[in-house]
Amino acid sequence: MEVTLLLLLPVATALVGAILGRKLVAAVSLLGALGTLGLAIGVALNWKSSLGGNQFKVDDMWISQLGIHWALTIDGLNLALVVLAAFVYASVVLALALRQPEEPRLFFFHLGLGATSVIGALLAQDLILFVLFFDLMLVPFYFLVGQWGTGDKAKATLKMVIYTLAGSLLMLAAAVATGVYAANVSGNHIDYLFSNLAHVHLAKGTQQWLFLCFAAAFLVKMPAVPLHGWLKDAYKAMPLPVLALFSGVLSKVAAYGLLKAALPLFPDAAASFQTLMLIIGLVSIIYGSALAFTTNDARLVVGYSSIAQLGFIVIGIFSLTTAGAQGALLQMVNHGIVTVLLVFIVGLLANRAKGSEDLGSMGGMAMGAPILAVVFLIAAFANLAMPASANFVGEFLILKGVFDSTAVIAVLACLGVAMAAVYMLRMYIRAMHGPDENGVEQREITFKEALPLLPATALVLALALSPQPLLKRTEGPATAAVAQAALAKGQSPDGKATTAKVVVKP
Amino acid sequence: MSVGAYGWLVLGFPLAGAILLGTFRKVLSGRKAGAIGTLAILFSFLSGVAALVRLQDRPEDARQVVSTAWDYANTGGIDAGLSILVDPLSLVMILVVAGVSTLIHLYASAYMVSDEGYVRFFAYLNFFVFSMLVLVLAANFILLIVGWALVGAASYLLISFWYRRNTATKAGIKAFVINVVGDVGLVLGTILIVQQIGSVDFLTVFKAAPTAFTVDNGTLVAACLLLMVGAFAKSAQVPFHTWLPDAMEGPTPVSALIHAATMVTAGVYLIARMHPLFQLAPTAADVGAVVGLITLLVAATIGLVVTDLKRVIAYSTMSQIGYMIMAVSTYSYVSGLFHLMTHAFFKALLFMAAGSVIGAMAGEQNLNKMGGFRKVMPITYACFIIGGLALSGIPPFSGFFSKDDILYSIGQQGGWHWILYFGGYLGALMTAIYTFRMIFRAFHGEKCAEAETLANGRLYHAPEHRNPADGTLEDTHVGYPGAKHHIAERSPGMSLSMFVLAFLATVAGALQIPHVTEVLHNFLAPTFDGAPRFDEPIENGPLLIGMGLGTFVGLLGIFIAWQIWVKKPGTSAKIQERFSGLHKLFVNKWYFDEIIALLIVRPFAALGRFLQRTVEHVVIDGGITQGSVSIARVSSAAVRSWQSGLLRAYAAAIVVGTSGVLLYFLVKG
Repeated sequence: MEVTLLLLLPVATALVGAILGRKLVAAVSLLGALGTLGLAIGVALNWKSSLGGNQFKVDDMWISQLGIHWALTIDGLNLALVVLAAFVYASVVLALALRQPEEPRLFFFHLGLGATSVIGALLAQDLILFVLFFDLMLVPFYFLVGQWGTGDKAKATLKMVIYTLAGSLLMLAAAVATGVYAANVSGNHIDYLFSNLAHVHLAKGTQQWLFLCFAAAFLVKMPAVPLHGWLKDAYKAMPLPVLALFSGVLSKVAAYGLLKAALPLFPDAAASFQTLMLIIGLVSIIYGSALAFTTNDARLVVGYSSIAQLGFIVIGIFSLTTAGAQGALLQMVNHGIVTVLLVFIVGLLANRAKGSEDLGSMGGMAMGAPILAVVFLIAAFANLAMPASANFVGEFLILKGVFDSTAVIAVLACLGVAMAAVYMLRMYIRAMHGPDENGVEQREITFKEALPLLPATALVLALALSPQPLLKRTEGPATAAVAQAALAKGQSPDGKATTAKVVVKP
Repeated sequence: MSVGAYGWLVLGFPLAGAILLGTFRKVLSGRKAGAIGTLAILFSFLSGVAALVRLQDRPEDARQVVSTAWDYANTGGIDAGLSILVDPLSLVMILVVAGVSTLIHLYASAYMVSDEGYVRFFAYLNFFVFSMLVLVLAANFILLIVGWALVGAASYLLISFWYRRNTATKAGIKAFVINVVGDVGLVLGTILIVQQIGSVDFLTVFKAAPTAFTVDNGTLVAACLLLMVGAFAKSAQVPFHTWLPDAMEGPTPVSALIHAATMVTAGVYLIARMHPLFQLAPTAADVGAVVGLITLLVAATIGLVVTDLKRVIAYSTMSQIGYMIMAVSTYSYVSGLFHLMTHAFFKALLFMAAGSVIGAMAGEQNLNKMGGFRKVMPITYACFIIGGLALSGIPPFSGFFSKDDILYSIGQQGGWHWILYFGGYLGALMTAIYTFRMIFRAFHGEKCAEAETLANGRLYHAPEHRNPADGTLEDTHVGYPGAKHHIAERSPGMSLSMFVLAFLATVAGALQIPHVTEVLHNFLAPTFDGAPRFDEPIENGPLLIGMGLGTFVGLLGIFIAWQIWVKKPGTSAKIQERFSGLHKLFVNKWYFDEIIALLIVRPFAALGRFLQRTVEHVVIDGGITQGSVSIARVSSAAVRSWQSGLLRAYAAAIVVGTSGVLLYFLVKG
C-alpha cells in the first residue's frame, strides 16, 4: 500500500493540479511532493534491517501471459535512494513553485511523471518493470528539454534521445532474454522477479552479453566516459530545476541498476568484466575532472564533476567489496544532494552576472552575498569530498574497497581526489572571490532564493555529522549485491581472497 | 567531571565561538567579536588545564582516556567512532595550541580592529582552533583525517581572508591543494594499515602492530611513508613546502597562529602520535630524518636572502620544523615536542613583533625599505631580540635548550646520524645569521621615512593603498592596516600578548634542563614509555660539547650578521657578487615552484586542454556522437515515410520495441 502510494503520488498530484488549473498546479504538486517525501521518510524510519525486503511489499501478477509482476518493495538497497529521489523532487518543485515556469500545468505534470518513473525504477522488483520505469524516465525529460529548454535544444534532445535509447533498447532486449534463458535453465514458467532470477545460474557466455547490454544502458545514463557525448548539450539546454532532478537523481538510478540488476543476475560476467569496468570508472574520474578544471562554464563544471563522481561510484561497485558498495551507495545519496545545491547555486550566480553562466563574467560576489558564499563553500567542500563531509566517508569506503581488490586503480583514482579540490575551488574563487571586475550585481541571497537550498544544506551537514544510520541500513543488502560476483572472482566481500573458488550451483 | 568530558569541552568552546560569530555577524560588530573569540579559546585552554589535572590524578598506566560520542562510520571493515583520545601527548598539544591561540586572539582583537571583516576573521580563527584541536584529540585515523583536512580548509579561508586580492586567493588555493595531496597520502596510509589490522582506532592499531608487522615490513614502511606525505604537506617540508611562504598573504595574526605555532606542527605531532608504527618501520623514519635535514638547510639558505620581513620568518619556521621532524623521526620524541613548544612561543612572538613593524610601515613588508626602528619602537625591538636569541639558540633562552636536546639525542645515535648532527649545527649558524640580518636591517642603520615620522610622534600613512605583494592599487577596505591605523606596541592588548610570549620564550627552557628538570619527559612518559631511547641516561661529555657548540655557532652567526649588515654595510653586495650563482639559486627559492609547475601543474593543465579541445571535440562529438546520430538519421530517413514526427518517433519506439522484442522471445521461448 505505502509503496504504491509512494510511486503514484507525484504524478497523480501533478495531474490533479494540472486539471485544477495553472494557479493551483504548483501548490498541489508541492503538496504531493511533500507528501511523497513524508511518506518516504516515514517508511525509512519504520523499516527494519532485520526484515529486509519483506516490508512494504506489493507483488501482483501484472501481465500473466508474459510472466511480468507488479512487484514493488522497499529494501535496504533502494531505501536511501527513494528518500533521496523524494527529497530532490520536493526541493525542485519548491524552487519551481517560487518561480513559476511558462505553461506550468504541463511542466509540473512532466516533472511529476519523471519523479514517479524514478521512484518506480527504484522500487521495482521485477526486471521488466524496472526496465519499463527506467525507459519511462526519458519521456518526460525529453519533453521538458524540448519545450522549456534553452539554446540549441533540438540538438540536445536529439543527442540525448539517441544515446539513451540505444542503451535502453539493448537493455530491454537483454532483460527479455534474461527471463527466457532463465526459464530455459530452470524449467519453470517464465518469470522476471529479481529474487527468482538471481537463483538461476546462466552460462557464462550468455551472462557476458547480457551484462554488456545492461552496462551499456547504465553507463550512458550516468554517464561514463566515453558514452557521455550527450551530456554537454543536454546540460546546457535543460532548465535548471529540471537539471537538478536529472543530475541529482537519474544518474543514481543507473548506478543503482548496476547493484540491483547487473551484479546479482550476472555475477560471472561482472567478475570477468571487473577490470574493464574499473578502468571505465577510473577514466571517467580523470577525464571528468580534467574537463571540469578547464571549462569556464559554471554549469558544465557541475556536469563534468558529476562524470568524475559517478566514476568513483562505478569503481566502488566494481571493487566487488562491501566497503566499495557501501561507499558507492552513500556517495549516490551525497552526490544527489550536493548536485541539487550546486545546480541551484549556478542559477543564483547567473542571476547576479547578467544571466551569464560563464565564470569569466563573475567574480567578487562574496562581498555582497556572504551568506550565499557560505552555502556555496559548504557545497563545494562537500563535492570535493572534504573530510568531515559524508562525501568523504563515501569516498574513503570506495577507495578502501577498490584498494582491497585492485590497489593500483585506487591509487590512480586518488588523482581525482586532488583534481576535485582544484576544480571546485577554482569555480568557487572565480565566482565569489577576486576583485569585482565584471560589475556583478552585489546582492545577498533573498529568503525566496534561499528556501529551496535550505533543506539540502541542512541535510549535507546532518549527514556529515552522522552517516552511520544510513550505512547501518544498507550494509546487509550492499554485501548481498556484490557477494555473488565477488565469489565468482574468488574473493570475499570483505576484500580478502577466498581460499577455494566457490562455484555457484546452477 | 571526567577527563573525557573536559576533552569534549576543549572542542566545544571554539566550535560554539565559531558558530556564534558566524551566525550573529551583524549583531556582534565592534570589539564584541574579538572578546567572544578570545574568551572561547581561553575557556578551551582552561578545559585543557582541567583535563590535565584530572588526568594526573589517575595512575600512570591509565592516562590514555578514550571517549566516544557516537558511531561515525562502522561498516565494510572500518570502525570509526566520533572518539577523542586524551593522553599526555594530546594534552601537551592542546595546551600549546589553545594557550598560544588565546594570546594570538587577544593580539588580533586589537590588530584587526579597523578591518571590515572583523567578525568574520574571528569566526574563521575560532573555527581554525577547533579544527586543530580535533586533529590533536582524534582517537582514530578517520577523525584524524577530518581534523587534518578541516585545518587545511580553515587555513585556506584565513590565507584568502582578503579574498579580493588575486594574490591571496592564489596562495589560498595553492595551500589547499598541496594539503589535499597530503590528505591523500594520509588516506592511503590509513587504508594500508586498516587492511592489515582491521581497525582505525589508534590504541587498537598500536597494540596490534608489533604482532601484525615484522620490523621494516614492506607494507608498513609504505604506510608510514604515505602518512609522512601528509605530515610533510602540513608541516611544509621539502618538496611540499611551497605553499608556506605564499601563505604570508594572510593577516599577520594568522601567520603567527597557523603558520608558526600550530598547524605547521601537525606533521610533528602525527609522527609522534604514530610512534609505535614508526618504530617498526625504521626505514620510513630515516626518510623523515633526511627530509627534515634537507628542509632545515634549504629553508635556512632561502631565509638568508629573502627581503620580505614575514617571509624571512616563514622560511625560518620551515627550517625549525625541519629540526622537529628530524627529532621525531629519530625517536627523540620528547625533544621534538619540546622544540615544538618553545618554537611556538618565540615564533609567535616574532610574528607579533613583525606585525608591529608592518603597522609602523603602513602595510609595507619589504626589508629594503626599513631601517632605524630601534629607538622609536623599543618594546618591539626588545621582543625581536628575545625572539631572535631564542631562535638562534643562545642560552638561557628557551630555544637553546630545546634545539640542543634534539641535536644531543641525534648525536648519541652515531653512524650516519652525524650528518644530521652537523647539518643541524650548520643550520643553527645560518639561523643566527638570517635572524639577526632581519633584526639589524629593520631596526639598526639609518631611520627610514616611516621611522622618522614615528619619531616625530606621528604614524606614517601610505599616500595610496597598495597590495604589498604585487603593488596593485587597492581601496582601504582590503588588506592591512585598513582604514584606521595603529601599531602593536602601543595597544595594551597587543603588548600584553607580546609580554607573555616574551616571558615564555625566555624561560620555557626550564621545563627540561638536563640533570635539573625533566617535567616534560616525565609528563609524556605514559605515551612514550617503551619507545627506544626514551629512558636513556644523559652522558655529560657529549651534552656539554653540544651545548658549547650550539652557543658558539649562535654567537658566531650573530657576529657575522653584525659584521655584514651593521659594521661594514656593503659587504652583503660584495658577497652577492662573489657568489652570484648561489645567490640566484637562493633568491629563486631553489626553483621549487618552477619545477613543480613544470612537472605537475602544466602537464595537468595541458591534459585538460587536450581532452577539452581535441578528444572531446574530435572523438566524442565528432566520432561517437556524430556517428550514432548519422546512423539514426539514415535509419530514421527510411522510417520517415510512415512516421510523422522525427524525434517523437524515438519515444514511441520504446513501446514498439518493447512489444517487438517481447514477441520475438515469446515465440522463440
